[in-house]
Amino acid sequence: MNNKYLKTLTNGLVTENPLFRLVLGTCPALAVTSAVENGFWMGVMVTFVLTCSNVLISLLRKVIPAKIRIPCFIVIIATFVTIVDLVMEAYLPAMHKTLGIFIPLIVVNCIILARAESFASKNAVALSAVDGIGMGLGFMSALMIVATFREILGNGTFFGFHVMGEGFPVAKIMVQAPGAFLTLGLVLGAINLVANHKKAA
Amino acid sequence: MDELKLIVQAPPHIRSPLTTKKIMFTVVLALIPAASAGVVFFGMRALLHMVLSIASAVITEFVLQRLLRKKVTISDGSAVLTGLLLGMNLPVTAPLWIGVVGSAFAISIVKHAFGGLGQNFMNPALAARAMLMAAWPSQMVQWVTPLDAIATATPLAIAKAGIPDTATLPLLWDMFIGFIGGSIGETSALALLVGGIYLIYKELIDYRIPLAYLGTVFILASVFGADGLNSGIFHLLAGGVMIGAIFMATDYVTSPSTASGRWIYGIGCGLITIMIRFWGSYPEGVSFSILLMNIVAPLIERFTVPRKFGEVKKK
Amino acid sequence: MRLKTFRGGIHPPKNKLTALDAIRPMTIPQVVVIPLQQHVGAPCQPLVKVGDLVKMGQKIGESKAFVSAPIHASVSGKVKAIGLVDGALGKKSMAITIENDYQDTPDESVSGPKNLDNMTPEDIRNLVREAGIVGLGGAGFPTSVKLSPPSDKNIEMLIMNGVECEPYLTCDQRVIIEETDTMILGIRAMMKALNVSHAYIGVKITMEGAIEALHEKILNEKGIDVVPLVPKYPQGEERQLIYAVTGREVPSGGLPHDVGVVVANVATAWAIGRTLQTGMPLVERIMTVSGAVQNPSNFTVRVGTKIEDMINAVGGYSGTPASIIVGGPLTGFAQFHTNIPLTKQNNGFVVLTKEQAEPGEMTDCIHCGLCVQACPCRLVPHQLVKYAKNGDTTGLEQYSVLNCRECSSCAYVCPAKIPLLHYMRVGKNYVMAKRAEQKK
Repeated sequence: MNNKYLKTLTNGLVTENPLFRLVLGTCPALAVTSAVENGFWMGVMVTFVLTCSNVLISLLRKVIPAKIRIPCFIVIIATFVTIVDLVMEAYLPAMHKTLGIFIPLIVVNCIILARAESFASKNAVALSAVDGIGMGLGFMSALMIVATFREILGNGTFFGFHVMGEGFPVAKIMVQAPGAFLTLGLVLGAINLVANHKKAA
Repeated sequence: MDELKLIVQAPPHIRSPLTTKKIMFTVVLALIPAASAGVVFFGMRALLHMVLSIASAVITEFVLQRLLRKKVTISDGSAVLTGLLLGMNLPVTAPLWIGVVGSAFAISIVKHAFGGLGQNFMNPALAARAMLMAAWPSQMVQWVTPLDAIATATPLAIAKAGIPDTATLPLLWDMFIGFIGGSIGETSALALLVGGIYLIYKELIDYRIPLAYLGTVFILASVFGADGLNSGIFHLLAGGVMIGAIFMATDYVTSPSTASGRWIYGIGCGLITIMIRFWGSYPEGVSFSILLMNIVAPLIERFTVPRKFGEVKKK
Repeated sequence: MRLKTFRGGIHPPKNKLTALDAIRPMTIPQVVVIPLQQHVGAPCQPLVKVGDLVKMGQKIGESKAFVSAPIHASVSGKVKAIGLVDGALGKKSMAITIENDYQDTPDESVSGPKNLDNMTPEDIRNLVREAGIVGLGGAGFPTSVKLSPPSDKNIEMLIMNGVECEPYLTCDQRVIIEETDTMILGIRAMMKALNVSHAYIGVKITMEGAIEALHEKILNEKGIDVVPLVPKYPQGEERQLIYAVTGREVPSGGLPHDVGVVVANVATAWAIGRTLQTGMPLVERIMTVSGAVQNPSNFTVRVGTKIEDMINAVGGYSGTPASIIVGGPLTGFAQFHTNIPLTKQNNGFVVLTKEQAEPGEMTDCIHCGLCVQACPCRLVPHQLVKYAKNGDTTGLEQYSVLNCRECSSCAYVCPAKIPLLHYMRVGKNYVMAKRAEQKK
């Protein structure tokens, strides 16, 4: 029993990491990873929305008619995104402003819809919740990994703290769009290299 | 009869003595006049930039190919050429690590990430330069005058700043010899032309691309410039057009291989260069124009495939 | 006078070592091996058995098919064997081995000289057919068939291919210089058979002695003209020759008679002239042995002579031979060993050294476009290679791989030493296989 939950959790964190292995949610990944803090909060929000929507969809899985399941999922997801949006605006207004349009865009984040469709609508509540947590945390760690490279090289900071010396020539390109693509591409490449190596072994 | 060990292969059984390696190193040879001019004008630091860029390119390629368990091809000269071209595109005041980082980027990302020799979709040296400009803009635009190393602006920057008083623009003769501010290898039109004519004579670059590029720049600058034909000459000698038209745009991989395709490509480069210089916000447009034309080169080639010998037009 | 030429092409080193060497008779071999197929078309069936005594010029193989040519004994002697032998084209073929009795007894059917004025076009065609004359430029197309174009084609002229654009080979050159009268007789015969009033002899301006020899002889010949051509490879390729002389392009998939032209090699004309003069069918021809041998030479060679006999005749190799090419080094066939009979189709062979034959290290394609500039058929070889590697028949057909004449110009210039011709053939195979599939 425990094994099943543990497996689902690590699935979302590593084996089927939504950003690095399923390559989902790349749009926010490119946009919010210019700073680790942004990636962190985005990860938190996605985890919350994903877990809650997974739970609710799983509870309702026998009730939602198959033919209109997508609009139903969207309504459920949008509800939780609205909650998160309003909470952010109230308690972390600066971060809310920084993340801007990408908060409402969580509604159409592929990860959430994908998990709803492929997991929550077919599995029990507890397992779906674990899947939501696993995937959400996986996404968060992935965002933070990419953001680490971008923030350190492009700004000299990590989570806002200066980690590189005064004289460090920051590469402005890293916190801009080209840097986002380059970093994500290289990280994905490195992970593929390791994964293929493991497969071949 | 002794047992003969005979080579049996599909025809042809003799081949031209030209090899990829010979081509690469001959182009390097053709760049030596301009590289030397750079050292004469800007000092030993210029030489250091070029050496570091070449070393970084070669070492990056070696390490990468070893890591990926591929055949090491540093002896074919393409990495050396990329490194040299990048080094020649840097301002002498730039920090010494910039060429190292740029070369590593050019070789690993622009060249090998896309498939290695013959597969890059953009000119590696130029793409690396664009990256360096985006990453460290302030370090990439500190120009100095040759020999006495006083901070200056390039002729194009002066021209962009407003309708200049001809007294503030450098003399055309100085621009021809290279006595102006600019990147290490781009200032001396004379040295570059010497190299270019040598390459055309050796039939290693197609005359069509530089002729189309420079011709378009000259004509458009004369027509739209403030000073008629003088503007035309000014724009030929200013900035990176000479090195761009002769050595960068003619890169085989990123230019069309058909004759009419090369005309179109050269004209396109010239057109975009002038558009950026005259109506864009940057003083210099060579890098971007060549990079943009690199991207459409395969399309140009597809549309300029020659009519086959004996092809009957379908009625 | 502006020289005529075509677009594209290459300039390999000429290496015409034997250009000024007069033709000499080759030592008659002890054994000749005569393959039953020395031409394009249906192979011959043997008319003799093992043990039979044959005479020189006797017909020993024949086929009833229209596109074919009979074969004759090139020496007199005894049939020692009829069986499979290794051929110059890399395949085994049926051949008749004859042991020479050194008598050179002519066969009864060899009737003596013929007068061209008394012959009709039909007579000429029969003579050519019975004499087993095929295209001596290397293709081996039965000449009697070439002289019988389809009745709906209007043939305006005859073009003689005296270009010999391959390096090393000089047999055609020597025929033009030394056997001019015989050759011109053959040209007249062909003109009469085709009912044309004009013949043009295409010759490169750098072929030493050829234009001078021709001008002297054709001053009095009405309707025969010399066309000097720019020395470029592959000017001797049929379509490029027609284009250079007339400005007409043979349509893809078509033949020269579609543009009103018949092309023949000067040596073929010589063979016809020889048969008219002596009555002997085609049993010997001029060949060049060149390259890394002691005495590169031009020989008169009996059909069926083996390569190893000819190596002996030139005094052996010079240095270590690395590659033996039957034909020219740009389109010829590399041999595995020298126990190979030479046939009517072969114009000689070249011995290459290791430095020459070794292909060198292959790199990736650098898209330099030299292959595009060189291709006389205006193809884009590097693109065709990509399609051939993937078996992409749509792309191959779109870029007209079947138009390739396999002249090797692209592979010669490629600095990356990519075996372009090999890929052209692969591509053609894919397309032909697909077409065969569709026909089913």
